[in-house]
Amino acid sequence: MDQEQGFLGVLTSSPFRIAIVYSVVFAFGAVALLGAVYFAVSRVIDGSTDNLIAAEVQGLREQLLVLSRSDFIELVNQRSRDQDVHGAFYLMVDPQLRPVAGNLPAWPKIAAGQGKWFQFTVTVPYGDQTRVHEVRAQRFPLPGGYRMLVGHDVQERQDVKNVMMRGLVAAVVMTMLLGIGGGIWMGRRILAHAGAISAVATQIMRGDLTQRLPVRDAEDELNTLAREINGMLDKIEQLTLGMRTVLDSAAHDLRTPLNRLQSTAESALAHLDPASPERRVLERVTTEVDRMRNTLDALLRIALAETGTVAREAVDLSALVASIVELYAPVTEERGIELGSQVAAGAHIQGSRQLLAQALANLLDNAIKFTPVGGHIRVLLRNESGGPEVVVEDDGPGIPADKRELALGRRVRLDEARKVPGSGLGLSLVAAVTKLHGARLVLTDAGPGLRVALQFAMG
Amino acid sequence: MHILIVEDDQVARDYLAKALREVGHTVDVAVNGLDGLQLASSIALDLAIVDRMLPKLDGLALVQSLRATGRKFPVLILSALGDVDDRITGLRAGGDDYLTKPYHMSELMARIDALARRGELGGGEAATRLKLADLELDRMTRRVTRGGKKIELTAREFQLLEFLMRHSGQVVTRTMLLEGVWDYHFDPQTNVIDVHISRLRQAIDRDFEKPLLHTVRGAGYSLGEEE
Repeated sequence: MDQEQGFLGVLTSSPFRIAIVYSVVFAFGAVALLGAVYFAVSRVIDGSTDNLIAAEVQGLREQLLVLSRSDFIELVNQRSRDQDVHGAFYLMVDPQLRPVAGNLPAWPKIAAGQGKWFQFTVTVPYGDQTRVHEVRAQRFPLPGGYRMLVGHDVQERQDVKNVMMRGLVAAVVMTMLLGIGGGIWMGRRILAHAGAISAVATQIMRGDLTQRLPVRDAEDELNTLAREINGMLDKIEQLTLGMRTVLDSAAHDLRTPLNRLQSTAESALAHLDPASPERRVLERVTTEVDRMRNTLDALLRIALAETGTVAREAVDLSALVASIVELYAPVTEERGIELGSQVAAGAHIQGSRQLLAQALANLLDNAIKFTPVGGHIRVLLRNESGGPEVVVEDDGPGIPADKRELALGRRVRLDEARKVPGSGLGLSLVAAVTKLHGARLVLTDAGPGLRVALQFAMG
Repeated sequence: MHILIVEDDQVARDYLAKALREVGHTVDVAVNGLDGLQLASSIALDLAIVDRMLPKLDGLALVQSLRATGRKFPVLILSALGDVDDRITGLRAGGDDYLTKPYHMSELMARIDALARRGELGGGEAATRLKLADLELDRMTRRVTRGGKKIELTAREFQLLEFLMRHSGQVVTRTMLLEGVWDYHFDPQTNVIDVHISRLRQAIDRDFEKPLLHTVRGAGYSLGEEE
């Protein structure tokens, strides 16, 4: 696995996806929670400023009733000086909007349509420099066309809101980052474990039943699963070994008496006159022993291939197909059949060279059997991107579509085939060998004739 | 030759011993692996035929012990298992050839002769020029001549001829050819080897008076000067 694929693998892994979903959910949660706090706090601090201003306005209005204008001006100026430090602003202007009292230099521009509450900015000293502050204010008319403004610096409250907003954004970003980071970390961990499991599983499928899944110290679902699968593998290995033992003893128990029969017949034959009738009988015995041996060999090889316990090696499929074609070329020519081949170079698979060779030989034996003089047999090896494909096709009678499945079964000889010699196990062996190699066996109509394709998977 | 047979099946053992004695070999027999190992370690042998599954000491273990103690005579393993992998384990254990039951006596005899010849040559595989009567084969230049005339052969025909020349004067079976030249261990249902041989025969015998490549009925082929 190269770096990019590894990273993509993490991104598509299920823990990463779950982490992303959760971090989005948590981010929404953070927005909701902090948003509510922001809203509530805003209301409280907004409300307290407004109350403060409203109380001040109320107080001034009451004073208005009892004080003369000059006293009121004096009061406003006094309040201005007192409240200066607390950020309160007062301004009293005459009908021409000229300041009469207070601590603001000029009547602010007030946009049309504003009610008695409004906001404006002032420049205030801030250390050696100045800052522009937001001021919230209320205005009210005074007798004689004079106007009064009472305001309060709300920059502080804006600052609080800004800090809260920044905190909210940061919290959401952090949640997302933690989620993604955690997802990648978990994804990698799980992928590393799953990768180890899948590597071992591949080896097991290739027939190495001694392999076991890695189990770490931690107690998690993957480990429990790995442990259970290992238990299952122990069982499978036992069964396969048992099957192998049964096969071996069956082979031994059948081959030994056959060998005795062969020995006895041959030993008797050696002393018989070439023309004697007993000789013909014994020769038939040895012919039948040969036939039984062929059937037994084929059956045992099929069974062996089906247990999947055959040793694998690197097989140069291109060289193998070319060599089988070369082996069969003279015999097809002698029988008046044209054998064509197209073998792509560089096809390699893991498998049993002997069993593959025999499977190919069986396909060619079959093709030769059923192809009439003047017919054609074609052998192709294509190195497809998905894996190599070997095709053997002839223009003989073929197999009807409804009987193709049947033909792969054990000991099935279609009626048309009964007149030609053979054990009827040829295609069964091809099917078992194909399965052993994790390949697909596809029988199709070559129009006319049979087309058999062995499609191997990559690697 | 002095041959040891280690075989627990009495019928097979008796017939094998009798057949080998008839063609002039000295034969000793053992009925189990331990006796076999004792005999093989104590007498000078030219060849041993060892059954794969033996009582007391398994055939493979027997061969391994022999090899471990430096006994180098050729060993032919007989097996009633006989499959793709069993053959490989047999040869890896130190066997020189592997034959599955039931076998034809002609096949066994041909293989014994081939093993004995290999022993005599003492790994003469290295010889670059092979010669039989007026037929010559040069492995380096890949040139074949008969009576000084160059004979054109395909790569496979060349290998086939080389194999036959190494075993000249002996019977070589079809199975031995398929194993030795193509490295395949199965019996094709079509007479593929016969046709290859007949092509080779065309090439080396057609234009000459005395045929060198003979068919041995019921056994195989033989390359040699006289019938």
